[in-house]
Amino acid sequence: MDLISWRFTWQYSKDQLKLKYRYTTLGFLWNFLEPAIYLTVLSVVFSLVNRMNISDYAVFLFSALVPWRYFEKIVNTCTDAIVGGDWLLKKMYVSPLSFPMTRWIVASVEFIFSLVIVLVVFVLLKDSWTIHPIIIPLTIIPWSLLGLGLGMIAAVLFTFFRDIRPIIQMLLMVGFFTAPILFKPDLFDNHAIQAQLLRWHPITYFAALFQKPLYEAAWPGGIDWIVSLSFSLSILLLGYALINRYKGSFYYYL
Amino acid sequence: MNTIFNLSGISVSFDRHTIKQRSLRHALGNIYNRNGHYKTQALKNINLSIQEGEQVGIIGRNGAGKSTLLRVLTRVITPQSGELHIDKSKHIVPLLELGIGFQPDLTGRENCYLSGILMGYSRDDIGKKIDSIIRFSELGEFIDEPVKNYSSGMYARLAFSIATDVRPEVLLVDEVFGVGDEFFMRKCIHRMQLLMHAGTTVIFVSHNLDFLVTQCKRLIWLDQGTVAMDGNSDEVAASYRASQGIKTNNGNQIRKEISGIFSRS
Repeated sequence: MDLISWRFTWQYSKDQLKLKYRYTTLGFLWNFLEPAIYLTVLSVVFSLVNRMNISDYAVFLFSALVPWRYFEKIVNTCTDAIVGGDWLLKKMYVSPLSFPMTRWIVASVEFIFSLVIVLVVFVLLKDSWTIHPIIIPLTIIPWSLLGLGLGMIAAVLFTFFRDIRPIIQMLLMVGFFTAPILFKPDLFDNHAIQAQLLRWHPITYFAALFQKPLYEAAWPGGIDWIVSLSFSLSILLLGYALINRYKGSFYYYL
Repeated sequence: MNTIFNLSGISVSFDRHTIKQRSLRHALGNIYNRNGHYKTQALKNINLSIQEGEQVGIIGRNGAGKSTLLRVLTRVITPQSGELHIDKSKHIVPLLELGIGFQPDLTGRENCYLSGILMGYSRDDIGKKIDSIIRFSELGEFIDEPVKNYSSGMYARLAFSIATDVRPEVLLVDEVFGVGDEFFMRKCIHRMQLLMHAGTTVIFVSHNLDFLVTQCKRLIWLDQGTVAMDGNSDEVAASYRASQGIKTNNGNQIRKEISGIFSRS
């Protein structure tokens, strides 16, 4: 990306955020309300369905659900980023990377705001606190990079195949329900096939980055860092390479 | 003199897409069923070179490929074949349309910053220029209104002020003078002349032949995606007019055809 594209990405992201909240007070409040309502409904439902210790389960569930929702939001908003940037891409040269980047910046800023409410929920649910949650600003990085990487891949695919969105959403859903976010990995016997499969599921290691400090009062393990960082960086590089490879063709498909 | 643009064998063709053709279903279907694509050849084997300080006009009928050529020069379109060399050290400002990058909900002032950044300036640069931009655009207090509330003339005035207050070394202009009232248009043309005297390389696309002949020494006449003629502006303009003149001399023929159609129905 050249200097103009970087400057544009930054200015355009700021403008997008400004516009989103300019004429509305509820708009800004919604950032806090939406996760609060979502997490409250989930807690109530699970306390009715499951007879387990609800606040214990809620802390477990929310610890990985919060980064997942951030990740999912990046992928979903990035999907139509390049197509949505046609107003500029058809008229002026800017790097097509600018548009997924902008969506990523906007989603990240909103996520940081919504963390305030998440913090309140955790304070209400958790009995005892340890030092470990302090690592959260670092453990969000692999999630964020994975979201941007997959978002760039989705944006390229969507430019060429406009009917790809349901497929992307289905894959995200499969990823969510097969990962140990809703259920605890110790649900299965260590030698069971399910436990073996979970070890091959990349999201397992991403989830551990949040579950360990928030739920288990432990630091994320070396393997969690290695798998999540190398996986997210590979996806990011793949997305970057795809955009660079096909950027000359976008004009003809916008 | 440095060469700013050098095009050799540039060709651009567009697939005639329908919405269906952009689907995965269609792509998978095409593996088995390879029907030939319908293509429109917009530019065919263009060879050109434009030197620093030249003022070049591009003329031709609708659909001759003028705007496509300008989009190739601004790197918006990557041609399918041929080689394009651009002097990257030069500050190139494209003016393919007035108000590129304007966001309707942002105020005029905010749009100045966004638009200025797209033209290659930093926020600080624009901060220094903003007063003179506002003065030239004659917008006054409206500068802090969202541009969606602007009249089309106000919109065009702001856009033109930004594009030319910056001091481009190369300016690419696509038919943008038909805007604003007459007095503002004169101001614009005056400003363009100042830029040209200062040595700015300008490439104009326009249907206003008289304007091009007075402003440019060189004209390029495009016809159906190829360069029909390239040279001294008076000569090219004369041949272009003559070629169109032949068609108008056939007026009797056309009139006969038209009356034929009406008498049949």
